[in-house]
Amino acid sequence: MASRLLLRVLRRALPGGGRTAAPARAMSVGGIPSDEEQSTGLERKTLEAMKKGQDPYSILKPKGYAGTREDPHIVPSINKKRLVGCICEEDNSAVIWFWLHAGESQRCPSCGAHYKLVHHDVPH
Amino acid sequence: MAHQMHAYHMVDPSPWPLTGAAAALLMTSGLAMWFHHNSMLLMTLGLLIMLLTMFQWWRDVIREGTFQGHHTPPVQKGLRYGMILFITSEVFFFIGFFWAFYHSSLAPTPELGGCWPPTGITPLNPFEVPLLNTAVLLASGVTITWTHHSLMEMNRNQTIQALTITILLGLYFTALQAMEYYEAPFTIADGVYGSTFFVATGFHGLHVIIGSTFLIVCLLRQIKFHFTSTHHFGFEAAAWYWHFVDVVWLFLYVSIYWWGS
Repeated sequence: MASRLLLRVLRRALPGGGRTAAPARAMSVGGIPSDEEQSTGLERKTLEAMKKGQDPYSILKPKGYAGTREDPHIVPSINKKRLVGCICEEDNSAVIWFWLHAGESQRCPSCGAHYKLVHHDVPH
Repeated sequence: MAHQMHAYHMVDPSPWPLTGAAAALLMTSGLAMWFHHNSMLLMTLGLLIMLLTMFQWWRDVIREGTFQGHHTPPVQKGLRYGMILFITSEVFFFIGFFWAFYHSSLAPTPELGGCWPPTGITPLNPFEVPLLNTAVLLASGVTITWTHHSLMEMNRNQTIQALTITILLGLYFTALQAMEYYEAPFTIADGVYGSTFFVATGFHGLHVIIGSTFLIVCLLRQIKFHFTSTHHFGFEAAAWYWHFVDVVWLFLYVSIYWWGS
């Protein structure tokens, strides 16, 4: 009995051993639901958005941009303007604050990096 | 209706932190009342309020996470950090008792006879019930791993079976240890040997009971379909705690039962 248990655990521990692709409707097969079937509320909203490649709740780290005219820093905003604090060089303690308005990209008055406001939808 | 822009959980106001603090006050002052004024009323009341607080607080966490969906990935990450930090603090708690044991046993004083175990102490044979206890806890570590894999592979029956066996092994350990405590030829009052033995193993036993309770709650939740194959942090936290309890026993066994004999 114990050796059967041990073999079962070892088989599971092996890569790909004993594992089948999780079916979408898991309740009908193994009896344990999947997040797809059972998640609810905000958790469900974040999971469904991630499946579509979206991130309405800003969970992921913001992407790094070059800050050039061709590749400006993208600043998401639910309004038509948003405050930007530019740390021109790493470890600068003087942060350059300015309002970024919707429309053409603006440049930091100190280091000249380009910033562009992009509309971010309010998650519903 | 106002919607939040972030994925974190701003918890609704709750009375349980206050009742928990009240319970702590009643238990501590109750302990003093028991020691000095021959009354267990305050302490018992404190214990009751503590149990009620724990039940209601964690019931609310389950409601918020499983039923209302507040435990998004970032929230879960925070809970993971929390559990790891808590277990780390418990590790340091036990380090203190191991320090006490080694302090007294590495340089036994003349009052003990200059030897360890001290003169007059007959230690328990490490190759009898303590060895069985070691096997029981190690086996429970295997069965809880079996449980986790069954859960991830969406196998309900095996998850429930493996978790039940894990709990039974935990209860078996507790029963064996209780019997050992009853039958031991020495008591907590038998010098520093008794103190270090019963305080270290006693706190460990308390943690086994706490861990078993946590696992029983997980079993009930699993039966009620709370866990999904990818989101079951409550179970993972219980499993981490259970492995921690197992590791502490291994240190106890090697240090106090085996080397200390």
